[in-house]
Amino acid sequence: MSVHDTAVSQDKMDRPLKKKKTVWDTPYPWLIPLLVILTAVFLYPIIQIVHLSFTDANMIQIGHDYTFESYLRMFTLPGFIPMISATGFFVFFSVIFQLICGFIIALLIVQGEKMKLRGTVVVRTSVLVAWAIPGVIIGVIWGMLYNETDAGIINYMLGIAGIGPIPFLSDPTMALLSVTLANIWRGTAFSMILMYAGLKTVSKDLIEAAIIDGANGFQRMKSIILPAMAPIMLVNLIIISIDTFNTFDMVMALTSGGPGNSTEVIALSIYTAIFREFNLGEGAATAVMLLIINVVMTIIYLKVLGRRGQVE
Amino acid sequence: MSKENKRTWTKAGLYFSFFLVVISFLFPLLWVLSLSLQTPFEVLQVPPNIIPTSFAIENYRDVLDSAPVLQYLWNSFRIVVSTVVLTLLIAIPAAFALSRYQMKFKNHLLIAILMTQMMSAVVITIPIYRLFASWGLLNQLGLVVIVYVAAVLPFSTWFLKNYIDTIPKDIDEAAIIDGCNKWQMLRRVLLPVSLPGIVSVVIIVAVQSWSQFVIPFILIDDSSLYPVSVGVVNLQSTQTQITTHLLAAGSIMSIIPVVILFVVLQRYIVGALTNGAVKG
Repeated sequence: MSVHDTAVSQDKMDRPLKKKKTVWDTPYPWLIPLLVILTAVFLYPIIQIVHLSFTDANMIQIGHDYTFESYLRMFTLPGFIPMISATGFFVFFSVIFQLICGFIIALLIVQGEKMKLRGTVVVRTSVLVAWAIPGVIIGVIWGMLYNETDAGIINYMLGIAGIGPIPFLSDPTMALLSVTLANIWRGTAFSMILMYAGLKTVSKDLIEAAIIDGANGFQRMKSIILPAMAPIMLVNLIIISIDTFNTFDMVMALTSGGPGNSTEVIALSIYTAIFREFNLGEGAATAVMLLIINVVMTIIYLKVLGRRGQVE
Repeated sequence: MSKENKRTWTKAGLYFSFFLVVISFLFPLLWVLSLSLQTPFEVLQVPPNIIPTSFAIENYRDVLDSAPVLQYLWNSFRIVVSTVVLTLLIAIPAAFALSRYQMKFKNHLLIAILMTQMMSAVVITIPIYRLFASWGLLNQLGLVVIVYVAAVLPFSTWFLKNYIDTIPKDIDEAAIIDGCNKWQMLRRVLLPVSLPGIVSVVIIVAVQSWSQFVIPFILIDDSSLYPVSVGVVNLQSTQTQITTHLLAAGSIMSIIPVVILFVVLQRYIVGALTNGAVKG
């Protein structure tokens, strides 16, 4: 690669003089395409959705009046508390177990690599593959695993152990548990990648020094690995939480929110309100609530990043 | 316990844990693969056969007859490639500017970009649906790709900006002294050095766009334009219990390209991802 081959002689003569500034010497033209797309695809919809949430618009009629009714109805609807608690359960347990499983698997892989065990690559790849499968297909796959007839594989295996059969998707409480489990399976891969990357940056010298000082595995974990990993765990926690709050595809394919609306997490309930019940105002009000959750989580994320000194 | 002994035990424990992890991640996929090779009769058999006895490879032909899975795959491929190309064309210059230029409100801009990254796709896509519907613009793959691009742009821009930040500025100055203008500097000097970062972005954007569901689900209702994610859900809603085997075959067909790619390229993908996780 050479940078010498164009108009060098001309420029060399000009160099002592101040080069003429072009528009490309300002940051703006470089940023215009980005700003245009983000404004069109994010700013416009956000303004629209906030606007709609203060109206009684629906998907069938044209025209609307302004009202606070959507918010009042959203909070007083019988489905509101179940939706919030389903979302809360789903997010809380998904996040906790994705963090724990991701961390444990990452530890296993790092340890396996250190000891040069042959199977390590297989483990890494099989977890990674789960990350590359579209969420809807994960929903379809788990739907087959949860098959409640005698031919269902999980119920069959539990049957051998003398348990079940379990109504994985037809019992409301069980269904929420089943959806959460499938989501943990799905999200562990991503969490593992972040944890794995973090573990690779934990200083080896520090660990060696601790071993020489006679620290056992538990002590090393408590006083070196966990403190070093705390920032990346926190970042991971926030990213996973936002992703889980926004989850739509996997639940849609697995239960469509049912039975009843026992697995109707917030993103799904927005979709249902608007496209199934044609109630734009109410769906928009719920959407605004989700946006507020997104913004609050992002602010927390920035505070954490700021503490790590990554944002100037 | 001797040191040698302890090592053996650690090894055994690790291998046992490896086994558990691999089983829990591969079993669901292997079970669907097994179902996809069973006849409708065998699917309903009790106890279920883990290894199919009928080996009904014709399921794959049948699913191709009943649903345009290859068309779905082709649509996904087209969308993903256009999204990746367009994303790079927009994100690289923007990342360059955010990394190398001084400007007012730079931090505000970076934060605003990050905010858009975190917004729920369902919430964003609904007003876009209303807009497209009222202008008769649904089912325009070109426009759908723009929305896909918007969904991955914030991440890509941040990531590349952080990557370019790690490249010393001396390199820029040397290029300028050699007579490069800003375009030449970006293309001939910064791009080659940023290649590992760009590869990371390509992989992550490709996987995310391949998995994207909400955007095409809401913005496309012409089934000949469905990407695989929407196509499989469509297949699911038109199939009943009897045809589990076909749904399984459809699912396997729609994940097999990515799975093969991942197994073959896993070393580079892990590199790209860990590189991204630390820098991004």
